[in-house]
Formats: sequence, C-alpha cells, structure tokens
Amino acid sequence: MLRLLRSEIYRMRRRWMPWIMLGLIVVAAFAVYFLIWGSTQAQIELLKSGQARPPGAPTEAQLRETLVIVTPGRVQNFGVSVVSGFGSIMLIVFAASHVGTEFGWGTFRTLLAHGASRTGFLVSKALSLLLYAAILMLVGTVAAIAGSYVVSSIGGLSTASGVNVGEVVQAAAKSGYTFIPYMALALAIAVWSKSAGAGIATGLVVYFAEGLVATILVSLNKDYAQIVNWGLSRNASALTRTVSSGQGGPSTQDPTASTLPDPTQAAIVLAVYTVIFLALAYWRLRSRDVTVGG
Amino acid sequence: MLRPVTVQPHEVVLRTKGLVKRFGSITAVDGLDLEVRRGEVVGLLGPNGAGKSTTIGMVLGLITPTAGAAEVLGRDVRVRREDALAGVGAMLEVTSFYPYLSGRDNLVAIAVLRGDGALARVDPLLARLGLAQRGGSKFRTYSLGMRQRLGIASTLLADPALVILDEPANGLDPAGQREIRELIRELAGENRGVLLASHLLHEVEQVCDRVLVIKKGKLIASGTLAEVTRGGGSYFEIVVGDKARAAQILRGLGVKDIRETPTGLDVVAEPERGAELNRALASAGLYASALIPRASSLEDVFIELTETEATSAPPAS
Repeated sequence: MLRLLRSEIYRMRRRWMPWIMLGLIVVAAFAVYFLIWGSTQAQIELLKSGQARPPGAPTEAQLRETLVIVTPGRVQNFGVSVVSGFGSIMLIVFAASHVGTEFGWGTFRTLLAHGASRTGFLVSKALSLLLYAAILMLVGTVAAIAGSYVVSSIGGLSTASGVNVGEVVQAAAKSGYTFIPYMALALAIAVWSKSAGAGIATGLVVYFAEGLVATILVSLNKDYAQIVNWGLSRNASALTRTVSSGQGGPSTQDPTASTLPDPTQAAIVLAVYTVIFLALAYWRLRSRDVTVGG
Repeated sequence: MLRPVTVQPHEVVLRTKGLVKRFGSITAVDGLDLEVRRGEVVGLLGPNGAGKSTTIGMVLGLITPTAGAAEVLGRDVRVRREDALAGVGAMLEVTSFYPYLSGRDNLVAIAVLRGDGALARVDPLLARLGLAQRGGSKFRTYSLGMRQRLGIASTLLADPALVILDEPANGLDPAGQREIRELIRELAGENRGVLLASHLLHEVEQVCDRVLVIKKGKLIASGTLAEVTRGGGSYFEIVVGDKARAAQILRGLGVKDIRETPTGLDVVAEPERGAELNRALASAGLYASALIPRASSLEDVFIELTETEATSAPPAS
C-alpha cells in the first residue's frame, strides 16, 4: 500500500496539472486582491474628483470600510474564502482527473497487472488527493497573505494588525474539510463511469446547483431547511460560516444563514457523505472485471 | 516471504485448475487447465476471441473467474493476489503507460510500486530492450514498437519467476520480432517460466517448448510442438479414391494417425516409409494418384484444429 502511495506521489509530481493549479491559485489570490483594491480605489477616486454618486452606490466611508477586507488582519475571512472559491472547483476537477484518467489511459489495468490491489489503488488515490488538497490550501493561503500585504503596502492600508495565523489556519482547515466530500463524489463518479469528464461534470453540477437550489428553497420557506440541511452545500456553509461570522466575510451575507445546521453536525454529515462516496467507489472497483482500459 | 528460498529448476510457476469465465450467456473460458514450469516457454494459441486475454486476466486477478482457480508459485491468485503477483511480470495486449511521463519515468513509477530492488533494474532494462537512447522521451511520442519494448521491460522489473506476454510482437518490425524471440528464449534460459499468447504462429513455433491451443475458451490441443504437429511434423498427403480401404491397409502396417481429407488421407509416418506405404496400397489394387511427403507446420495444425472445431460445433441458437 505504501509503495503504491509513493508511486502515486511520484507520478503526481511529474504531472503538469497539479503544478498549473498551484500556479493558478496563486495568481487568482493575487488577482482578486488587486481587483478588489483597484476597483474600490477607483470608485473612491471618482468620488474624490467630485463626480456625482449614483443612487444606491456606496459612500466613500463605506468604500474605505470595504478596503479593510484586503488587509492582512482579514485574511482568515476574505483571503481564505477566495482560495476556497477557486480551490474547491480546482480540487473537484483534479479529483476526477486524478482517478478518471487512469481508466482512460488504461493505466489502472497496468497498475493491477503489476501487483497493485484495488483497495490500495483507491486508498492511495484518496490519500494523495488529500495531500494535494492540503498543499493547494496552504499555497493559496500563503499567496493570499502575500497578496494582502502587497496590496496593503501599495494602497497605504494599515498592516499593523498582522495576520492572525491561528484563525487563518482554522479557517483554511475548515474550508479544506468542506471540499473533501465533493472530491470524494467526483472520484466515485469517475470510478463508476471510468471517465474524468463525468466526475468533473457531476462534481461541479452538485457543487453549484445543490447550493443554489437549497438557498432558493430555504428563502421560499424556512421549513425546507430541515430537508436541505442534509445536503452537502448547507453543511459546508455551516462549517465555513462559523469562521467568518460577525466579521464581514462573504458567507455572512447568506440570508438563510440562521437556518444552517449546527457545525458539529455539519462536520459529521460531510464525513458520512465522504465515507458513502468512497464506499461506493470501492464497491464498484472490487466488483468490476478489468478488461481493456479498466 | 514472497518468493521461495530454494528455486526448483522445473517448479510449476503457474497452474490453472478448471478455470471458467462466463460473461452473461457467453462462456469465454471453459474449464481450462494449464501449467507453466520454470525454464519453459508455453505458447497460448487461439483465434481472436478464443479466450487468451481473458485467461491472462484471470491469472492476474483482473477478471474474477466464474469457477476454478489460478495459482502462481502455489499461491491462489484470488486469495493471495499480491503475494502471487510479486513473482509475475505481465505485459498485456494493449500496452498502457502514463503518456505524460517518459519511458524511464514510467518504469520508475512501476519500480517504486514493485519495490525489492526494482529501481536498480530500470536503466539496465532500458538498455536491454534498446530504449536507452529514448528513455527520456515522453511515452506519448513512442512508436508502437517502442511501446511494446517498454511493456516488455516493465515485466522484468520484478525479476519474475513467471513472465506473461500477450502479443508482445505487435507492431514490431521483423528485426524487432527476432529480438523479442531471442529475449523470450533468454528469459527461459534464466529459469523463468514464460506464457506467450500470440497469433503469430511462426513466432510460437520458434520459441515455445509447449503449446496450448484454445478455441471458444476450451483447450483443444496441448503438448510439445512435435506432439501437436503430429509426430515431429512428417506426414504423407495421399490422394486416393477408396479412403476407407486405404486407411484399413495402412493401419495394418502399424500407422496409427490417419486423417481423412477431401482428396484422400493425411498419414503420419516417417519420411523413409513412403515406398512401403505406396507398395502396400498398390498390392491391394489401390493406386494413389499422389503420395506427397509433407512437414506439417504449427500453422497447418492450428488451422486444422480450429476449423475442425468450428465445423463440429453445434449451430448457434
């Protein structure tokens, strides 16, 4: 099992995709910081130049308050949520690709023919994905911290409060935890369909559509929360909300936040989903005859 | 222990017992018994769809048998798959590697999985298979022949007691095919057992000690090449009218293996007995239009066996 994991990591290190994704998360983190600062600063400059403020547009004071989110002291809210937003999508894509390509290339069959076990295959895939998710979150978060310092320095914003490392780590860990069931879902679909594309499509559709549907349903009638709170998105939101509550992070803007599940329950539900998805993938792998491809 | 401490020169490295595989209503392999010993090359022959790759799949634990068992070095593949496959190097019909890795990196990835000193064998194997110059090139840039060579190299990473090669000469030019034949003999010389599935009969004829012919999943002939090609390959094609009487006369001379053909008889006998057979037939008033000494090739036998099987098979429902 350990040898298969080492082989997995060896192959992963030599693949372009994980490196490109790490590059993208760094670029995305910096880009969003610059965009927020640049657009807010531009609006402030417009107001300063005496241009009339359109009705409903924020005042200069509100804009300056908005700028505060790009300071290092708010990385646990803004920076981590940016990294989570991009990272979750990247990790769903990567999870499906990491497993699905083995069937497309026919290398699953090659690995088995060289003595790898099906259990070992699944475990090494899952562990290497977890490792990569941790690295992506780490690199993204470090990039966000760096981006906040750079933008704060350029914009003359205060960096005196520094980064609250404990809160940043906690926020990143919780966000990273919420990705795991989505990655497990993408992995399971890739195993069942023997296709990376199907895993990516299903993972992304569930990621976006389920959350949207749940929000709409709860907005219509809060009683629906009792049903949709057993889904992935509401439990993921419940975990990430506890990080940013009361500090102006994006998730506090959710009007249905009051009906979210308890964070502990959310963590358990997400874990159960992960186990179910992995078990389904395992069952399929165990029962399938491996002919051409996988 | 993954491998026996004492290596027996003719130890059975692969044994299947009553191996059966059904896919729905189709029986791909039907009660197959086979053995491969150290130091011998066993050819697994059969037309397309005969069940060769399915058999190999079951031996490697890729396909679950419906019934029966496969043992590698005495270990049941279904019960102790990882232990059993530690002593096996297998190249499948479709050679699949990671396209984004170089040939060398692909071997390293498998060597890491194999452990037990496999990493040290990567470069010598690349050299042995003539891939040293292109070892650093991406696998996706390899020609079919190079892919086959890399596949064969990968089988030897584990220093296996049993090597399974499924159509190893696919895509190779004649020189490459000859190199592979030489390599297969070398492997047997290194006291490994080799199971060679191939439809290139001349290849099998040149390298195999024993052959197994399967058709529709059933073993229809097995033995040494001499046995399968009828007494070392010498026979007479006799063109004669009264086949039954001619056969009776020839049996009286002690000839045992006589087969009817559309024009007469094929009679297995030593080449020097031609005059004797002709004289006996003429003495009985049966004059053969022709009595031609022939040497049966594996190809002749293979076609005859598989066609016979096909004509004697019940009509499909």
